[in-house]
Amino acid sequence: MELLSDQGFRVDGRKPHELRKVQCRLGVLNDADGSAYIEQGNTKVLAVVYGPHEVRGGKSKSQHDKVILNCQYSMATFSTGERKRRPKGDKQSQEISLNLRRAFEAAICTELYPHSQIDIFWQVLQSDGGNLSVCINTATLALIDAGIPMNDYVCSCSASFVNDTPLLDVSYIEESQGGPEMVVALFPRSEKIVHLKMTSRLHMDHLSKVTDLACKGSRDMFGILNQAVRLRISGLSQSMQVG
Amino acid sequence: MEQALYKRDRYHHIKTKSGKILRVVREHYLRKCITCSAEICTLDSCKTGISSLPSDVTHYLFPDGGVCKDFMEVLELAQFTGIVFTQTAVNYVLTPGGRATIKRLTQKVADPRNGCIFFANEFFHETFFERESKDNVNDWQTKLVYKAAEWYYQHLECKKAVVVLTESEELTFDLANKTAGVHVMSLQQYLSLFWPNCAEATDMFESLSASLLLSKEKGGKKQYDNHLPQEVLQMHVKSSEQYYEGVLNVNKHHAQKEAFIRGFGQKKLKLDSDILISGMTDRNRAIHGDRVVVKLLPKSQWKGRISSLTQDNESDNDYQDKNNVPTARVVGLVQRNLRDYVATLPKNEGSSVQSGKSGAVLVIPYDYSIPKIRITTSQVASLQDQRIVVRIDSWDCNSQYPNGHLVRRLGPIGDLETEIATIMAEYQLSMAEFSEQQQLELPTNNKDDPWAATQEEISKRLDLRDLLIFSIDPIGCEDVDDTLSIRELESGDLELGVHIADVSHFVHPDSLTDVEARQRSTTVYLADRRFDMLPSILSADLCSLVSGVDRYAVSVIWHLNPVTYQVKDVWYGRTIIRSAHKMFYEAAQAMHDGKDVRADIPELNGMDAMSVEIRMQRLKWCVDKLMDVARHLKANRVKGGAVQLEGLEVKVELNEEQEIENLIPKQTMEIHETIAECMIFANHWVAKKIVETYPLCSLLRYHPLPRQDHFQQLVESAKAKGFEIDTSTSKSLADSLDKCVDDVDVNVNRMLRSLATKAMSNALYFSTGSLPRDQFFHYGLALDCYTHFTSPIRRYADVIVHRLLMAAVEGDNNNLIVNKELQEICEHINNKHRASQHAQKDSQELFQTVFFKDKDAEVDECCTVNAIIESIRSNGFLVFIPRYGMKGAVFLQDKNGLVIDVSEKNNPTWTSGSISRSDFTITVATMTSSTCYALFDHVTVRISVQLSHSHSHNIKYELVSNKQHEEIQMNQAHKSCSNVQDVVSAVKEMHTDNEDDKDNSTTKQTCNEFSQSNSNMYQLLRNFKLMALQECS
Repeated sequence: MELLSDQGFRVDGRKPHELRKVQCRLGVLNDADGSAYIEQGNTKVLAVVYGPHEVRGGKSKSQHDKVILNCQYSMATFSTGERKRRPKGDKQSQEISLNLRRAFEAAICTELYPHSQIDIFWQVLQSDGGNLSVCINTATLALIDAGIPMNDYVCSCSASFVNDTPLLDVSYIEESQGGPEMVVALFPRSEKIVHLKMTSRLHMDHLSKVTDLACKGSRDMFGILNQAVRLRISGLSQSMQVG
Repeated sequence: MEQALYKRDRYHHIKTKSGKILRVVREHYLRKCITCSAEICTLDSCKTGISSLPSDVTHYLFPDGGVCKDFMEVLELAQFTGIVFTQTAVNYVLTPGGRATIKRLTQKVADPRNGCIFFANEFFHETFFERESKDNVNDWQTKLVYKAAEWYYQHLECKKAVVVLTESEELTFDLANKTAGVHVMSLQQYLSLFWPNCAEATDMFESLSASLLLSKEKGGKKQYDNHLPQEVLQMHVKSSEQYYEGVLNVNKHHAQKEAFIRGFGQKKLKLDSDILISGMTDRNRAIHGDRVVVKLLPKSQWKGRISSLTQDNESDNDYQDKNNVPTARVVGLVQRNLRDYVATLPKNEGSSVQSGKSGAVLVIPYDYSIPKIRITTSQVASLQDQRIVVRIDSWDCNSQYPNGHLVRRLGPIGDLETEIATIMAEYQLSMAEFSEQQQLELPTNNKDDPWAATQEEISKRLDLRDLLIFSIDPIGCEDVDDTLSIRELESGDLELGVHIADVSHFVHPDSLTDVEARQRSTTVYLADRRFDMLPSILSADLCSLVSGVDRYAVSVIWHLNPVTYQVKDVWYGRTIIRSAHKMFYEAAQAMHDGKDVRADIPELNGMDAMSVEIRMQRLKWCVDKLMDVARHLKANRVKGGAVQLEGLEVKVELNEEQEIENLIPKQTMEIHETIAECMIFANHWVAKKIVETYPLCSLLRYHPLPRQDHFQQLVESAKAKGFEIDTSTSKSLADSLDKCVDDVDVNVNRMLRSLATKAMSNALYFSTGSLPRDQFFHYGLALDCYTHFTSPIRRYADVIVHRLLMAAVEGDNNNLIVNKELQEICEHINNKHRASQHAQKDSQELFQTVFFKDKDAEVDECCTVNAIIESIRSNGFLVFIPRYGMKGAVFLQDKNGLVIDVSEKNNPTWTSGSISRSDFTITVATMTSSTCYALFDHVTVRISVQLSHSHSHNIKYELVSNKQHEEIQMNQAHKSCSNVQDVVSAVKEMHTDNEDDKDNSTTKQTCNEFSQSNSNMYQLLRNFKLMALQECS
């Protein structure tokens, strides 16, 4: 299959630098401290935040200078075309959980909550490529919803490289063809990269082009997330005024 | 940007490997604006794209998927312009089996001359609508195409009529009158309405639809096994030891019986030899050049190669080697590699034609390795004695022959123009004139409007017009692309300059000239004419560095140490030069040899005697110095292991009426090597520069290591003469080849070298991003990197290299070609290069046959020549003829088993007898005599031409005598007498057992030539012959 036609169209009709359609909502679950839901194309992710609360499972784990971040990523059995049992803690989701924890340890002001714990749970409802970056974006919104202090938003986007052209926001078809995929997460204000993950081989010379595009995509995501947050706040303040 | 997109979901049902049906959802974005690419469009929003849909056509054409898939070849014709290929149609073609059609389609769109575009209608919200449940998929797709056409019509404000082509009658009726100005019709209607005079298109349409009909009819006896599907093949090749993938190579001498798959490149293959596929049944419909998967047969069914020479295909007595090779059967095709085939109707088939339904005839392809093709045509009578071009469509397993259709006709058989066109068509080379549009792009240079260098350009370039620059080329050369200069600097250093025509200044990337040049890739030199890569205004005028005029050039200038010739400094850049002399090789060589060549240098006319004298001295100094430098450079390369190769070239001499006067092998002089060496030097340094600057997208030329088993014949042939050849490295090969000098027969060394050349693979262009660094080397030249830079007028690769070099020098990286694209171009150039060399060879053979055809072989002495035995076969041997530089087969045994007896002088007779063969000799024994022929023996053969109707004429070689041709032998005898010492020493070395007959130097020479053992009976007979010979002379 041709991922990028000579006219510059991708399989789904996007141009190389275009994001998929993004829809997001904050505060989808009332019982949790914070929650958010993002649909990016057909990738749908729900993130839920609990905490900060006391450390569960014995005080020995607690740390005196910072908060413990507990991250759990899981995919729904119905998230892909074929229904598949996905036991908790399989290798793939463990790895993604670890990646996510690293990214958010850098973003959350962890020193503010010693001897406590914050839990972030992700559920991928539908998987269509770019799961990791969508998870990062969703968690950012959920943390904001929970009111946990952060240094900055963490915005993320993926990029690939096909026919000597960098592609933004790869979908499942593009991912599964085996090309390189890069996931970048950054602080949009300071432009500091918090997390960068790369799979498959990419020549050194093309690296900067792909990174630049992924960073640009992340900044675009920031615009979208920021808008969603402002919408949520104005909604809340209105309801408070009414109340 | 996001606002302009609408997201919708598309549902697909996909079958998984395990056979389950999966429903998957894919996104599909519709956008608000898409450029229409039409020249006449006035909207600002459409101005961004490149306008490629021309304004000078009467209507635009919208073929639907069905028409694209089945009749692409009609649409492909050059007269059909302004076609819009919708995404819907392309997707329809993309369904399995349409890959070749897609390739055609892409080529049609890619060529700007065709004015065709690709329109992504399914991504555009105005031209897309959901499928309604009452429509089936095909109807919906055609309606989508219609919608796109309608949109175009309205978008362009009804200024251009549009035509939708569909083969669906129902829809034609439904849609026909929906919108005025949008016409819906079938291709047949369209052709008869719009192109009533275009016979080519109508012919092709008819033969295509006939073959479509034919392919629908099923039934009949099954002739071949079914092919396995692609996935199964891939799985087998990966997992099983018995399945191999490779390109099928049909042995053209035994086209019905033998085909091979190269064993090389099969990683897991333990066998080092090629895999044999014996017979048509096992070949299972694969055609020469196809990529196939084969399954090895059990060892008990392995067969040997056919080692006999065939006179024609009907000979049934095959001699097979006892050494069996791996034998296999074709089980599936990975990729067909079909091209256009030149073919001929069989002679006098008038009666049998009627028997075939709907006028089906079997035509015989020109290429022996292609099976007969069944075509359907209504014009059998007019096609008799014509060469035609056909294309293969399909080959069902119940049909003995493939089905094809007629593409075009070339002309009557036997006509020189037709035969040249045949050669060009067989190798898919273009022989068309350059288009007018292309001519308009280029500058002119005639009396009214002379071309001159502009001041602006001159200021950008290094002015070398005062330097003594000259070119050395063959006589009659028009396209001078290289010039040289050499001088001593004040610092004492030597300055060597190579100045190459600046073609890239005139040919801009992606201009029409550039596209055409890329497509042609090389100038094709045939024996009597050439087909230029660039229009003559460039190749013979503005880019040709002739003497006395200002020309733009790209120069490489070295500063060399005056004693050691080490490179101290190198400069690359654009220059402006004025060549002082356009010299010929002969004149330059004569000048070096100290002869007076003033008459041969026309530029000296009009100078006074004094300045002529000074100029001559300077020129002589230049030529001498160049030769010295070149010798030094060559010595350096030889030290590194460069192999000197031997190629055979024959020049055809034509008189004014274009008739062939004579055939002469080309002579080489030292000056040829000097020029070649300077060019190699320049190429090497340019390669260094570009690969350093652009390690990922430079165009270089590499020559891979040869396969050791290909040297087998060379090593064995050398052994016959008592030489050892070490092929382990290029250095050892070069050294051992140098040692293989037979003091009597210079031809032995030449032939061994040509065998070595044959054993090596060809050098190829490649893009540096696609090979690891350690494979960049050039084996034959012993250089670590090499490219082609010095002939941009006749090779497209050089044009690319020029652009790369200029980008590297000027630091402008905007117009670089990316690696993947460059590699595709390289492969295209390699193919064209190979094709043009084959075409050149074929044209020479064509002229050879024309030369000998009119001669009476019995009388004309041109036809009786000396030949050297090159290799021995079971029923004859292959000979090399130094006089004409030809090679051919000589039979010792005919079809009826009779053998040739040459014991009677000049009167060979066919009698009953037997043939026995050993490694280096073949012996013919008859009732009265016995004659032995050994490798490198000299014999006399008579050349005649065997006429052929559907193929090229063959040259036939008949043995006349087992001696050298008298005339030549006399000369050689003279020579050998003059240096008896040499002969004696040579004989001593090799034939110590023959030392007893030293009394006659001529005898010794003969001994040497025949490398005989001391068989007494043979000695006696030979002496008899010798006596006869002496009497005669």
